[in-house]
Amino acid sequence: MNAIEIRGLTKSFRGMYALDDLNMTVPQGAIYGFIGENGSGKSTTEKCICGHLVPDKGKITLFGKPYTDAGVRARVGALIENAGCFPASSVYANLMMQAINLGLKDRAGEIGRVLKIVRMEDNAKLQFKKCSLGMKQRIGIAMALLGDPALLILDEPINGLDTDGMRLMREILVDITKNYGCTVLISSHILGELEKIATHYGIIRQGKMIREIAASEMDSRSQVYVSLKTGDMGLAFELLRSVGCKVQFAEEGLRVYDVEDTGSLAAYLMRSGQQIGEMKKHRIGLEEYYVSLMSGREAM
Amino acid sequence: MENAKTLQFEKPSFFTRLKGMLGVDFYRLFHTPLYFIFLAIAAIIPALVSMGAMGEGETAGMFTNAWQIIAADSPLYIISNMGEYANMNMVFIFGGIMVSIFIGHDYRSGYVKQLFTTHAKKEDYMISKTLVSAFSMVCMCFTYLIGGMIAGAATGLPFAINAGSFLCAILGKVIMSLGWASLYTFINIIFRRKFGISIALCFVLGTGIPVIGAAALVGNSVALNIFLYGSSVYACLSANFLSVLVCLACSLAWAVVYNVLGSVLLYRRDVY
Repeated sequence: MNAIEIRGLTKSFRGMYALDDLNMTVPQGAIYGFIGENGSGKSTTEKCICGHLVPDKGKITLFGKPYTDAGVRARVGALIENAGCFPASSVYANLMMQAINLGLKDRAGEIGRVLKIVRMEDNAKLQFKKCSLGMKQRIGIAMALLGDPALLILDEPINGLDTDGMRLMREILVDITKNYGCTVLISSHILGELEKIATHYGIIRQGKMIREIAASEMDSRSQVYVSLKTGDMGLAFELLRSVGCKVQFAEEGLRVYDVEDTGSLAAYLMRSGQQIGEMKKHRIGLEEYYVSLMSGREAM
Repeated sequence: MENAKTLQFEKPSFFTRLKGMLGVDFYRLFHTPLYFIFLAIAAIIPALVSMGAMGEGETAGMFTNAWQIIAADSPLYIISNMGEYANMNMVFIFGGIMVSIFIGHDYRSGYVKQLFTTHAKKEDYMISKTLVSAFSMVCMCFTYLIGGMIAGAATGLPFAINAGSFLCAILGKVIMSLGWASLYTFINIIFRRKFGISIALCFVLGTGIPVIGAAALVGNSVALNIFLYGSSVYACLSANFLSVLVCLACSLAWAVVYNVLGSVLLYRRDVY
């Protein structure tokens, strides 16, 4: 079953289309990395799923039920733009309000559990407004985690976090999907971080979904290439082409694609009198894939 | 997916949903100073009102009975002096300000997103806010009553009263809290984060200016009881059981109207 299925979602603001016939499929149990430029419609999509925005048209189903179903929506946790907490209240009071809202029975126990997940057990009494940005993001996650959510929607949760904070957030997200069976829809600009955890990707541009791909599929399709610098780049280019290598000039020097044995490549060039200045093996990752899609040429 | 599990979604009943939403609102109400500040304000207003009765100048002698601090002698929609105006109805003015701040903070803090994410049925929000606001205003009515009795005693005015009429007057005003609360909730649903506008509008409507203006045109007509301010005035020291029924009908009717309109608005409009 799919956790989220969106068909033909359209949303406009004063005649400007933020979402234009958007389709999206998030499988249950996935960590779905939602990628796109600023203003591409990521947050609008997430807000529509959470019922914050009223779509012009289109269909949204969550776990096979309409997104307006009270039972499904009671199991959705969200962190969109900010944690949505009362600044003058303590972290604990804010979590308590959400626990009451969700009708949880063992509220104190649940609060303790989510605070432990986000590593905030020692800061429960702190006033929300006195928390750092990273702490606020983690509190937002804790709010979203209350009450065993089946679906988590996180809008830029790693924005503004330092390296440690990002690592912690990554661990939290992997932990909740593995141990709690939660589906996560996460939007982020930090593709390197997303690449480490996402099982699926959706790439959105100007309100349209331009590609949905599983991380495993991307891995199997991703190209490996070797970048190298030699004494005579022109001659090296010709030499490699003459033996059937897929080679091209790039910013960093030459790129040789689909090389399995870098040692043989180096040996061949040296035998041909080329001095190798630099040689490095690469795999085309999410960032390059995304850039190539955005520029209209697909890398894989 | 490997870690996908079979999920079951229980559909919460209306009462379960409302219990959750009401729980949050009451928790917030009792854990923030706002509510207690307004209770104190409601208790202090009668003291300020009675100062006019005790002092000298234009307002001196505007009361002849201590209970007039709490309700007017008769249902006069056209105001000729402050004594006929300054009574427990002022709770509804300050109640409007309190409700605006209370709901406005929901929107400003962003907490409303949490509520609407987990509550697909948007009428839950409208009903819960109306009930909590009505509760606050009822409490304000009672602190006003206590403050009014103390202030009345301080003026040295007589406390002679028909107990039945007095009870009907108090009951009528308490019942009107529901109608006023639904109006203020509706206004705040319209203006959301711009609670400055909500406060101003609640203040204007709470003072009864539109009804007082209408009374100036049509005279002291009982037809004005169809309005919240009209029925609030109708709950006076000469009230009877019929007055209570009028208040009940007016308050309930407007509560239904504003709750339906508010819910429709919430369904049709973006949350923020």
